[in-house]
Amino acid sequence: MKSYAVRNLRLCTKDCLCLYVCPTGATDTEDSIIDVDKCTGCGVCAESCPSGAITMMPLQLPPQQHKTEKVTAVLNLMSQSKAEQEKAALQIAKETEKDGLYRLMMAFARSNRIMAEDLLREAGYMLPQSSNAQDLLKSLIDNPPSPDFPVESAKKLLELIPCNDCR
Amino acid sequence: MKYRCNICGYLYDDSRQEVPFNELPDSWTCPLCMASKSQFTLLEEKKEEKPAEPVSIDEDAFELSAGQLSALFSNLARGAEKQYIPAAQKEFTVLSEWFLKAAQDNSPASIEDLAEYLSNDINKGYKDIDSIATADSDRGALRVNVWGDKVTRMLSNLLERYQSEGEDFLLNTEVWVCTACGFIYPGDEPPQICPVCKVQDWKFEKQERRKA
Ligand code: SF4
Ligand code: SF4
Ligand SMILES: [Fe+2]
Repeated sequence: MKSYAVRNLRLCTKDCLCLYVCPTGATDTEDSIIDVDKCTGCGVCAESCPSGAITMMPLQLPPQQHKTEKVTAVLNLMSQSKAEQEKAALQIAKETEKDGLYRLMMAFARSNRIMAEDLLREAGYMLPQSSNAQDLLKSLIDNPPSPDFPVESAKKLLELIPCNDCR
Repeated sequence: MKYRCNICGYLYDDSRQEVPFNELPDSWTCPLCMASKSQFTLLEEKKEEKPAEPVSIDEDAFELSAGQLSALFSNLARGAEKQYIPAAQKEFTVLSEWFLKAAQDNSPASIEDLAEYLSNDINKGYKDIDSIATADSDRGALRVNVWGDKVTRMLSNLLERYQSEGEDFLLNTEVWVCTACGFIYPGDEPPQICPVCKVQDWKFEKQERRKA
């Protein structure tokens, strides 16, 4: 399968073995992000990296795991509850003058956001490349929820991200 | 007798401790995750739970609110970040922020409202997810269920403590959030590994005080 190299900047120790072995210079960039246009996907850098910081990403992502309707529905209900709690916690934080309550509520908002993201991922919005995500963007472009909705961003995303499982 | 923490699974075995569990003060907290004593369950006591009632699915479950769409797009922004597609990360973030704003309606909110959501999640929501994910053998959904259930119990526990102790509860304590699972930990330093998702301490972020 055709793939390309990505470097996890958090794990990279800048030991630079990948710089010596890359035949195209794709790993040698001023911002440390491997140059996708130069990378041929040979995988030598990933094999030589002492820190396990390089991952070979498939160019064409396989379709994501299928989710049953029931699983999606029950996870959606929970993410709705988390979204409501995020909103309530932000509101309480905004209004309070107390330091402890402010921090607790901001942490609650953050926690609920993280849980909601995880739930929506498991409900079928795992990959930006999935047809689910793409169909959602298309429907928002066709029927913007309000006149000031940033349609341009949605359009740009459709151009930037190829669909991996569209019929 | 043995007692297990509902949140992180820490085992308190009377035969290995100087003080039996029952004699610990109410203010005692789990040494691993800081949950209250009330979050511990006596092991023998854990009897077979009765089978969950069938879950009925409402059509509304497929409609996503502004708050959900905000989280959906911030999640896709994360996905784009992991794949090193910064341009897409940026646009997904624009959409996420737009929906976050759209979700805010300034409607009054109270600690009691939060407590009610939390108890509904714990007593119904996660049980429903468990039975459906088990029936459909969806291990990803089971995983999000186990993590979410524990984090939600911790949130409920923290809220109860804030309700009973007030500002004193967090007076000289920092508040940490696990950015992988959402677990909240009160303490001077974050735990070495997250008691819920087992990620390392650098994935925790400190909740800053309000800027003057
Ligand atoms: S070999 Fe690995 S650790 Fe070294 S510079 Fe390359 S990516 Fe970083
Ligand atoms: S996969 Fe090959 S071409 Fe691509 S960055 Fe690594 S060494 Fe260079
Ligand atoms: Fe965690």
